[in-house]
Amino acid sequence: MSAAPVVVAEGLGKVFRPPASLGEMLRGRFFGHPTTALSQVSFSIAPGEIVCVMGPNGAGKSTLVRILGGLLLPSSGTARVCGVDAGTGGSAFRRRVAFVVGDERSFHFRVSGRANLHYFGALHGLPAGEARRRASGLLERVGLHDAANRPYREYSRGMRQRLALARGLLADPEVILLDEPTLGLDPRGARDMRQFLRDEVIRKPGRTAIVCSNDPSEVRALADRVLFLEAGRLHGDAPPERIEAELGL
Amino acid sequence: MNAPWWFGRVLWAFVRRELSAVGGYRAAFFVRMLGLATAVGSMVFLSRFVSAAVNPHLAEYNGNYLGFMVLGLLAAEFQQVGVSGLAQRIRTAQMMGTLEAEIATPAPPWMVLGAPPVYEFGVAALRSAAYLTAAALLLGLDLDHANWLSLAVTVPLVIAAFSGLGLLAAGTTMLVRKLNPVATVIGSLSVFLSGVLYPMSVLPGWLRAVGQLLPLTHALAALRGALLVGAGPRALAHSFVALALFAGVLAPVGVGVFAFALRRARVDGSLSHY
Repeated sequence: MSAAPVVVAEGLGKVFRPPASLGEMLRGRFFGHPTTALSQVSFSIAPGEIVCVMGPNGAGKSTLVRILGGLLLPSSGTARVCGVDAGTGGSAFRRRVAFVVGDERSFHFRVSGRANLHYFGALHGLPAGEARRRASGLLERVGLHDAANRPYREYSRGMRQRLALARGLLADPEVILLDEPTLGLDPRGARDMRQFLRDEVIRKPGRTAIVCSNDPSEVRALADRVLFLEAGRLHGDAPPERIEAELGL
Repeated sequence: MNAPWWFGRVLWAFVRRELSAVGGYRAAFFVRMLGLATAVGSMVFLSRFVSAAVNPHLAEYNGNYLGFMVLGLLAAEFQQVGVSGLAQRIRTAQMMGTLEAEIATPAPPWMVLGAPPVYEFGVAALRSAAYLTAAALLLGLDLDHANWLSLAVTVPLVIAAFSGLGLLAAGTTMLVRKLNPVATVIGSLSVFLSGVLYPMSVLPGWLRAVGQLLPLTHALAALRGALLVGAGPRALAHSFVALALFAGVLAPVGVGVFAFALRRARVDGSLSHY
């Protein structure tokens, strides 16, 4: 008997309604034209699986992982991760499910990588000693030990991505959500990061991972299975060998 | 881990991070000190000018315009911290991109967003104490009559009232995605009508009545009563009740607006942009 799925999305939909422009407000409207980012997306993911989400820009990949991480509320449907509704999950949910925010602006620029991790360790509810220990261990694992005390602003793009990954692992989550983790890295840095992600971050501890990517070589290196999104709709669910066929390359 | 202990951890980590970044703001620190020195100079000469003649409007405060003005400015700054501290922090976190990463952690949103204003209040309180001490030692500010028990009652009430305004301002900032219309309106109205630089007795009756609707008016009455006149808690009961009413009304409304704004940000995806 196969294990119960860790991630279950049923009929997920997301419609963004931007604030109205001045002209629209004068016509009595509070919102601008709605944009459908996701529509009727359903899938499930088994424990320990690495699933990549592919699709052109604007296909809804980031929207999907933000909904699964509980940072965005869906307009319709449900998303359950680790048995919990992502929209209503609280602290316990966010300990089990980590959304790795890869935005390089998401750290304090003037303090060191280590100090940044200590602060996020406190937000994870770790006691000071434990936060220090875990931060040191993670900095070592992501290869930032020597740069740990340098100000974050001096970090290269790759170092920032690795620090973001270390932050995502502070709580030792069961499920990890990554949005284009190698975006902007040079080819060698991207290859090393993929290898590290697959072997050390996901496979070894037996985590479940969802990775958004537009890079076929990345998806081939990481994925057990690929979901293809286009214009917010799921139009394919296939093994990585079928990327070219699914994308029409 | 229980919530107060966890919040204490977050607050301490936040303070450490802020302090470790202070070294990077040396120029801003010196500019601020220069601004402070010129402001103090202006205060001294203005107080000499106003106190040169007997002024019936200052009789209530023993003619102590220096004390009157220093307390007015400190309380106005305290209000500014309370009203705009959280909103400013949210705006910066949205622009910097840190808000989404912080909200993605297990810490509840109130804990993520609560640490910065508590820190700002703490810094403002220390700064106010330092200014008052400096004014007493260097400028001869007379605090001999101060009633410290009244001050101990006043300060938490003032913080509670200003925090309610702060939550309201933060909520509206998140909703309208512009910097804090509440802070701008309250700030300018308060300087005009709350008696920051001049006693309210110089205002016409109808403006005095409008001024009663502002929390800073009652905060100033209580602070000046406690520190300059030495009034006891019974004599300041009217101000205490007014401040408690402001806190009792503004805090739940502010929490409601803020919770709505946070949910709205999760609906429209604005946690990560501004």
